[in-house]
Amino acid sequence: MTQFLDIVTFAGELFIVAIGLLLVFGILKIINLAHGAFLVVGSYATVVATRLNWDPWLALLVALAVGIALGALVERSVLRPIAARPLDTILATWGLNIVIVQLITLYFGRQMQFAKSAITGAVTLGGLTYSEYRLILLLIAVAVGAMVTVVMRTTQMGLIARAVIMNEELAQGLGINTRLVRFVTFCLGAGLASLAGALLTPLVSVHPLMGVPWLINAFMLVLVAGVSLGSLAVATLLLGGAQVLVSSYGNPVLGGLTIVILSVVILRFRTPA
Amino acid sequence: MGRTLARGFNIVLAIGALVAVGVGLPPAHAARPIVIGVIAGLSGVNSVVAPAVVQSAALAVDEINAKGGVLGQKIEMATFDDNSGPDGAVKAFNTAIYQRKVNVIIAMETSAARNAGAPIAERAKVPFIYTSFYEGHACGKYLFVNAWVPEQVVPPTINYMDERYKAKRWFAVGSDYAFGRGMIAAAEAFIKQHGGTVVGEEFNPLDQSDWTPILSKVRGAHPDAIIYSTSGGAPNIDLMKQYRAAGFKLPVGSLSIDELTAQKAGQAAQGVYYAADYFTTLDNPENKRFLAAMKRKFGEKLLTPNDLSEPEYDGVYAYAMAVQQAKSTAAEAVIQALPKVAFKGPRGVVQMNKQHHAPLPMYLAQVQADGSSKIIKSYGLVDPGNQCPTLK
Repeated sequence: MTQFLDIVTFAGELFIVAIGLLLVFGILKIINLAHGAFLVVGSYATVVATRLNWDPWLALLVALAVGIALGALVERSVLRPIAARPLDTILATWGLNIVIVQLITLYFGRQMQFAKSAITGAVTLGGLTYSEYRLILLLIAVAVGAMVTVVMRTTQMGLIARAVIMNEELAQGLGINTRLVRFVTFCLGAGLASLAGALLTPLVSVHPLMGVPWLINAFMLVLVAGVSLGSLAVATLLLGGAQVLVSSYGNPVLGGLTIVILSVVILRFRTPA
Repeated sequence: MGRTLARGFNIVLAIGALVAVGVGLPPAHAARPIVIGVIAGLSGVNSVVAPAVVQSAALAVDEINAKGGVLGQKIEMATFDDNSGPDGAVKAFNTAIYQRKVNVIIAMETSAARNAGAPIAERAKVPFIYTSFYEGHACGKYLFVNAWVPEQVVPPTINYMDERYKAKRWFAVGSDYAFGRGMIAAAEAFIKQHGGTVVGEEFNPLDQSDWTPILSKVRGAHPDAIIYSTSGGAPNIDLMKQYRAAGFKLPVGSLSIDELTAQKAGQAAQGVYYAADYFTTLDNPENKRFLAAMKRKFGEKLLTPNDLSEPEYDGVYAYAMAVQQAKSTAAEAVIQALPKVAFKGPRGVVQMNKQHHAPLPMYLAQVQADGSSKIIKSYGLVDPGNQCPTLK
């Protein structure tokens, strides 16, 4: 039972890290390699909030806001001018990733930092004791996923976004301001990355390079899942579950490679739709 | 025209560079300072404690220079970051020895970094004083250690928890590298010798901060107590945070936490038992003077001295005393003198006279709710045992 909770909560962590990347990939058709840096920014936002003695819940909102603002800045100044050159955007976002991480290192140093956690205890449910924070993180991941799904399915904004995902040129021809859609999506994607970073800080220590393993896992999951939120949820459960099981029954070193290896295998043998 | 101008500019630059080099050279008659290479993990897992190590070294260097230096020469300190790992250590040792031309290396590092760096110092014939507690049995003609080894911490910790909690069934958790593996092996051997059993053993990669799968296994094994050894610094905090969050109430013995890390961990480390040779609360005049001097020098920026950082201070003094006794900084003379000098510092008298290791005064402490460490038992001078039988 504990193992089941380990799997679903870990899948929740992966989902919340990958969802921003998936949105950006779906609508802007680019893999945002600065996603890991946005995540790190969110983590440091909570570190700063801890230093200022702010409430840890407030720190989450601060991280989200910082991420959105950073996303807006990046979209306007870096991505928009090169939107027509997808290969260049990969280089640009990777470069951006390095710049952001280095700036953080310059200001905060390379040492590990710690942020205050909103919840530190454990809950006992039917004789089973489990980390309360991990369970709440799972709920937040589900809530974020549900919210994005509802927005995509039922609102005008979602309809427009889906139109852009399916055929951007056609959508443009119909008079949809695709430029605005791209802008809003990128801001949201960056905001979600920062929120994910903030949500992870109670579980892991914060340092400038913490984003890299998360970025790699999220990248693989998005490649496997494509642009559907549902398949992302399934992918995080399956691949995240595999990682937990390999770490538990095999060893944690191998566990750390599970997602990457399985993704490569899946991509190799999947028939193109 | 443009080209002539550019050439003229180049000449000016070249002259400027020559002048700069000339000014940078010390006048021929001034004695060359003795350079101490301080290598520590300023980034990576050791980054919680490494800045405190640099502070300890800086104070010792200041104090020695204020008294006129050694053999009439000033001491200088050069700091290098080893990134808490072997790759960084190789770079740091090579830079320190071949570029900065240090006379000695006095370093607090992870075992992975030490294992990579020590052979470089050995080949270059540069004395290397290692000031971090470690898993034992690292030997070299030029390598000296002034911090604890398993023989000095494992028995106090395990014995106390056995007496207090009747802990017979142990679960051992470690970081997957030389120190974690070595400490856990020593702990398990001791547990088995004393009638206990080890019901489980798990290792996590050094860069992996998620302990969830391992904690799930601990829960399944129903042990009486847990003994763990990560690296020094941050992984202690990650593990203890997640341990508390998972709702465990079992007693925990740590072979890798220190006073500063415990303080940073705050409530997460409450109740953890650990043995060490240095605490800020040690009641002796040398320690009081040391702490007062540290406060004066670093003020608000002072990081709590601890058993990973204080030995660096002793190490610098031991080197200075050895140079004084040898009347030379020549490596061969210094390594002859090092085991003979005894420095009375905050930990008491420390002398690296047991096969390049030191008998140390040991204490057992428990981390309190506010993250402070309370000494609950004192063991007096504890011998490091046979670490390097081929050395004197």
